[in-house]
Amino acid sequence: MNSQKPEIIDESGDKYKYGFVTDIAADSAPKGLNEDIIRFISQKKGEPDWLLEFRLKAYEFWKTMKEPTWAKLNYDKIDYQDLSYYSAPKQKVAPKSLDEVDPELLQTYEKLGIPLKEQEVLAGVVAVDAVFDSVSVATTYRQKLAEQGIIFCSISEAVKEHPDLVKQYLGSVVPYTDNFFACLNSAVFTDGSFVYIPKGVRCPMELSTYFRINAKNTGQFERTLIVADDESYVSYLEGCTAPQRDENQLHAAIVEIVVNKNAEVKYSTVQNWYPGDKDGKGGVYNFVTKRAACRGENSKVSWTQVETGSAVTWKYPSCVLQGDNSSGEFYSVAITNNHQQADTGTKMIHIGKNTSSKIISKGISAGFSNQTYRGLVRVAPKADNARNYSQCDSLLIGSHCGSHTVPYVENRNKTAKLEHEATTSKISDEQLFYCQQRGIGEEEAVSLIVNGFCKEVMQHLPMEFAIEAAKLINISLEGSFG
Amino acid sequence: MGGLVQKVKLFGEYIPWFQAMRDKGAIAFDELGLPTPKTEAWKYTKLRDLNTDDLVIEPSNFLAEMRVAAEEACGCHHEDGGCGCHHHHGEGCCCGHHHEEGECHCHEEGHVCECQQKLHVPFEAYVIHFEKGKMIPPFPDFPRGVEVMNLMEAVLTEDAKEYLGKVVDIKLHPFAALNNAYMEEGIYLCVHKNVKVDKPIVLINHTKSGEENIFFNIRNLIVLEQGAEAEFVEWYNYTGAVKSRYFANVVNEIVLGKNAKLSHYKLQDEAFKANHIALSVVKQKSDSNYHNCCLQRGANIGRNEVKVLLNDENASAEVNAAYIMSGWATLDTTTDILHLSPRTYSSQLVKGVVGGEAKGVFQGKIHIAPDAVQTEGNQLHRALLLTDTAEIDVKPELEIFADDVKCSHGAASGELDENQLFYMQSRGIGREEAKQILIDAYLNEALDKVKNPEIRAWLSDYAHAPQE
Repeated sequence: MNSQKPEIIDESGDKYKYGFVTDIAADSAPKGLNEDIIRFISQKKGEPDWLLEFRLKAYEFWKTMKEPTWAKLNYDKIDYQDLSYYSAPKQKVAPKSLDEVDPELLQTYEKLGIPLKEQEVLAGVVAVDAVFDSVSVATTYRQKLAEQGIIFCSISEAVKEHPDLVKQYLGSVVPYTDNFFACLNSAVFTDGSFVYIPKGVRCPMELSTYFRINAKNTGQFERTLIVADDESYVSYLEGCTAPQRDENQLHAAIVEIVVNKNAEVKYSTVQNWYPGDKDGKGGVYNFVTKRAACRGENSKVSWTQVETGSAVTWKYPSCVLQGDNSSGEFYSVAITNNHQQADTGTKMIHIGKNTSSKIISKGISAGFSNQTYRGLVRVAPKADNARNYSQCDSLLIGSHCGSHTVPYVENRNKTAKLEHEATTSKISDEQLFYCQQRGIGEEEAVSLIVNGFCKEVMQHLPMEFAIEAAKLINISLEGSFG
Repeated sequence: MGGLVQKVKLFGEYIPWFQAMRDKGAIAFDELGLPTPKTEAWKYTKLRDLNTDDLVIEPSNFLAEMRVAAEEACGCHHEDGGCGCHHHHGEGCCCGHHHEEGECHCHEEGHVCECQQKLHVPFEAYVIHFEKGKMIPPFPDFPRGVEVMNLMEAVLTEDAKEYLGKVVDIKLHPFAALNNAYMEEGIYLCVHKNVKVDKPIVLINHTKSGEENIFFNIRNLIVLEQGAEAEFVEWYNYTGAVKSRYFANVVNEIVLGKNAKLSHYKLQDEAFKANHIALSVVKQKSDSNYHNCCLQRGANIGRNEVKVLLNDENASAEVNAAYIMSGWATLDTTTDILHLSPRTYSSQLVKGVVGGEAKGVFQGKIHIAPDAVQTEGNQLHRALLLTDTAEIDVKPELEIFADDVKCSHGAASGELDENQLFYMQSRGIGREEAKQILIDAYLNEALDKVKNPEIRAWLSDYAHAPQE
């Protein structure tokens, strides 16, 4: 393992010529971002030259880009030179099974309510590729999946073991030129998951990754790539929780999904990172680029997200509907409390004929939080009979929060039918009174009403997730009423 | 010399408070510059066709206007049989030919003046005429309690001082800043306390063929005192076979006192090569009501932006619009309704029909300030696409900072319903005619909001698809 060596040896056998010494225990790169750091990350991960080149190209481009300011977000300017771009947890040997994983790590998971061990006991329902900071520490059920030809591993492993696949698809959905944060990610991404479902295979279980941010001041740059070949199906879960930290942590991830002919991908997220304390101090900055390309005919992709965490969320899971008859769906529940800010939504780009998309977005703001739904529906001139239905409902709890809706609808085809609806309201006194009159306490009544408000989205989550998410909603809104 | 920024002799340079406003406008425009596609408020309306290089601002006409107004009894002020559009000494007849004084053929008996054919206001009204952005005196006789002046007159008498330039924020609107810089033409309309104007006040701006590359700015200031009621109609008209290129930049500042009611209608029917950019900013006191309906059907780039500030309790606004177009036009309807006080109400209905290779743009925004509780804001935009090359871009926006509110918006676009067409065809109505019936009905939904039935009928006469 690299982490055993205090210094990095480059090919010529010399001591790493830029001379910084890594602390074995923390095994982080020094703060700052420059070409050397990128070379360091790449070398540390033993990457091939083409990937290093990809990173450097992205970095060169990133230097020319400006941080976007169009989102309705207010946060202190991020000093990109004050962050550490690589951090691996302390470990001696690469674990081959859960038993070998650092018990301290496992304990952290357990505290957060996602007991890895229990999941193993729970018999083959979920396979977890757990990511602790930047290095994948445990991958379960891989063999079972491998029997069917399914590849489910960390992206760094995939780079080594399936370079052709990675090379073919990496950056094909989200090119490094896409946006500021995606470009940054392309330059410095450290780990993430790779999924490949071969032709005609229905993935027998739900694939799942739990992300954690652990080390202080470490930006986490995950990169997930999912490829569903013809006639395949996969449901992928991404869950996120982070331990409490005082300083803001940056998270800029990319998720790329490629869906081929007749294939279907379901991607579900529960995001519950540290939202900062009551006064808005601390919390995770979450700038994520997620995009799915429906390349083949009749392909289908569905995004479901429950966003309850992070101090700042900037996230627009999108669908590029290239194949004829392809369809995209976006179901979202976003809950902000205290001083949280979320600018989230989706993009549906209709290119193929007879494409359809559906957007259901439910936003709940409480406390002093601000939330924006920002969505784009674009119909290209050739996308005959495109169909879109968007619905964005917002619920406001308390008089200091804000809720905004900014849909963009661009139609260039007369046969397209596009509809957008949005409403904003508060929990009505009648509803509350009705519940209370029947002996349901105020807080409980609010949670009942909120859960009812979100139901349309929650029913699209896989079972285990739905329960966790419902709990999360209640926790997030604690103390926001009365 | 040409372009949007040019040196031109304007009246009133020696009035410090007024000239300071012009200077501020010029500085603000210099800082803001022309909006680019990256400017969020102009995201969809591309200004690359504006071609401002050869535009010319005509020098001041104010003193001439004053002189003519003084010579009110001049021979060319026609009685019966005259076209009512008041031709003046030395000026060309609207038919485009130049005649010796008094020889204008259009006033011969039996001859119907071209401008009368086009510019007949089919309802009882007080009509104020403008030609290519310059006022043509005299004013009609207004009843007591209604004060109408040329803007510069109101500047001289300092009637306009209280509100002029204080309603619109030029730091946010580049074209309003530009308008400030060339502020001269326009009217000042003040309706005194509790006065109800009996007839609509119509402002006609008429541009004719042959008037190429003119850039004109019109600035109107409309003040309704407490309890006053009025109807104000703007009509931007063009006649002539040759399609002229010119640029009209209009800013209306409107102040509504307590319980005042203003109905504001507009027909934008500019030449297809002309550009028309207009901004109306309305400031409302408590219990006042602002009712707006705009039909856009002309211009290459046409933008009608309405910004309403509901400053006090129980103020309400209704902003409706319709647009119909073909060719290469871009017609932009932008609204921004700011609910700044509790119990304020707004509603919007915008409907559009887009044909040819045209592009329809709707950007609507409802903003609800913190503590502006028990407000209601509704917005609906619907558009029809007639051709494969037409485009519609919509951005309905809600910005809400208070919880006890009811807000909704909706946007839909699609093509004509085949079933409805079939239904009519099966009853012997030709396909083209059936289409026309459907389009008319579609737009009339928005125009039906016009309260005055005569104005409604007049507007809906113009809501047909332009002949291609």
